[in-house]
Amino acid sequence: MDGVRVGKRVIGSQAPVTVGWENTPRVQGGPVKQFVFTWFQPAALFALVAFWYYAPNSIAKASTAIGIGIGFKMLLLALEWVNPRYDSWRLTWKELVADLFYVGLGYTVIRMASNYVGDDAMIEAIQHSFNWDKFLWFMALPLIVQAFLISFIFDFGQYWMHRGMHNFYPLWLTHAPHHYITQLNINKGAVGNPVELFLIGLGVGGFFDFLPRAALLAGTLGLTVSIYQHINVRFNTPRWWRFLFNTTEHHSVHHSQDYEATRSNYSGTWIIIDRMFGTCVDGEAELLGMEGGRRMSIGETMVYPFTEGWKTIKQKFGRSAESAAVPAE
Amino acid sequence: MIPRFIDWIWHIRGSLALAPGQSGEDAFNRLDPLFRQTGTSHERTHDTLTFSKKDQAAQDKMSVFDSGVMTIERDATGSVLRYHLVSRALLFCFLAPILFLGFAQLTVLVGNLQKPSTEAAEKAKKDKKKDQVLPQHWIDKALGAPAPEKPQKDEKDSKDKKGGKDKKKEDDDKPSPTPAYVFAGIFATLYVAGRILEDRLIKRLFRKRLLGSAA
Repeated sequence: MDGVRVGKRVIGSQAPVTVGWENTPRVQGGPVKQFVFTWFQPAALFALVAFWYYAPNSIAKASTAIGIGIGFKMLLLALEWVNPRYDSWRLTWKELVADLFYVGLGYTVIRMASNYVGDDAMIEAIQHSFNWDKFLWFMALPLIVQAFLISFIFDFGQYWMHRGMHNFYPLWLTHAPHHYITQLNINKGAVGNPVELFLIGLGVGGFFDFLPRAALLAGTLGLTVSIYQHINVRFNTPRWWRFLFNTTEHHSVHHSQDYEATRSNYSGTWIIIDRMFGTCVDGEAELLGMEGGRRMSIGETMVYPFTEGWKTIKQKFGRSAESAAVPAE
Repeated sequence: MIPRFIDWIWHIRGSLALAPGQSGEDAFNRLDPLFRQTGTSHERTHDTLTFSKKDQAAQDKMSVFDSGVMTIERDATGSVLRYHLVSRALLFCFLAPILFLGFAQLTVLVGNLQKPSTEAAEKAKKDKKKDQVLPQHWIDKALGAPAPEKPQKDEKDSKDKKGGKDKKKEDDDKPSPTPAYVFAGIFATLYVAGRILEDRLIKRLFRKRLLGSAA
């Protein structure tokens, strides 16, 4: 396989990766289908931003956001059914159960643990020990600016945490299980070792004091933009969107079986951060996973960072002990 | 050996009549591509095929099963393919509600343990927040966004409704076991759906392979 040169790297020399938007397929079908799958993403984004901007205070609250989030995810599952990007990625019963198990962990035990050792707890401890107050000036900014900054600053941190995971072995051990997924579906973002899910959720948002409505607007960017990272739907995504935001195409390159391709597109929402740091590869891939597409079981996902870490330690220190013990012949 | 009245939870058994004149050899040949998948090993004798799968890909048509035995039996009416398939995914889904009910109990327990220690901290936080007035940028005012609500109004409202006792607020501070109960329900439903669906799907797959053109 020859691969394609992107900057200093050759993408797709180990597994097929399509590079360049001109080479990615477009939505097939009649005019209604074309219309829906061309305008769905921007329409949902602007409609939900407008909703959270103007909703009365009695409605603009977290419980509404949770309800909308669940409803929107179900709609996207239906879209996966109607217009899949790849037939080989169709959701099966087993995949749905496995994905929902990780989603369930996120809503229960991981959330509970994050309350005690997550970023909020840490930030509160830092603020307390340095006698810092929150950055109150932040709250006086226009709502959209606050929402953009919350989303962008969080994603900036997530970009470096994610890039760190791909470059620093102890962090990689926590992230590796997520790269064993062999297809993208709406809930696949939750698949992974709980330690990773906890690490990727860390942010510096707690240092700022923002209006509750701004947080809801920032959350809606997550729901209507970064959710498409893991989705099996073919969209005619607008060019400006692909320039600014991460897409399922970008993220499939990141999950490809090609090693160089996985070292790209690290951001969650703002692909422009990848463009800033030269890690963006525009394109898509169908063959995903590690070790030629071996699917990691739930059991192995739960213990992988620890068992692999232990194996590496034993290899490193065991070898020197072993070599010292080899008798001279 | 696990008795049958329990093992139906994750074991799927069934049978399919072969076409008149179809030999066992031909039937297994037609099913053969299903067992030539990554992570699958299989053994064939004259009338029995056993297989096992490890880390099978999501794209594997039989990914829900981890092992199984298929036999060809002959009687006066003709040949029959009998299969006995084992699925750890079905067992996992059957047990998942118990796990999530456990998480719910754990949440309740943790909520009860943390209550006394956090109450004082929460009260201090609320006191601090009382003096705070939320600003609104002139752009947002001009565009007609609702004015941000002051936090003390919430507290006052809920206190009024509860006759001075802020019971609702107190409950909100505790971690809620509801998501765990919801997921227990989801997995129980998914189990029932999956046990029926996978049974039908595998029968349909085998029938398609046996009666359709040889792959």
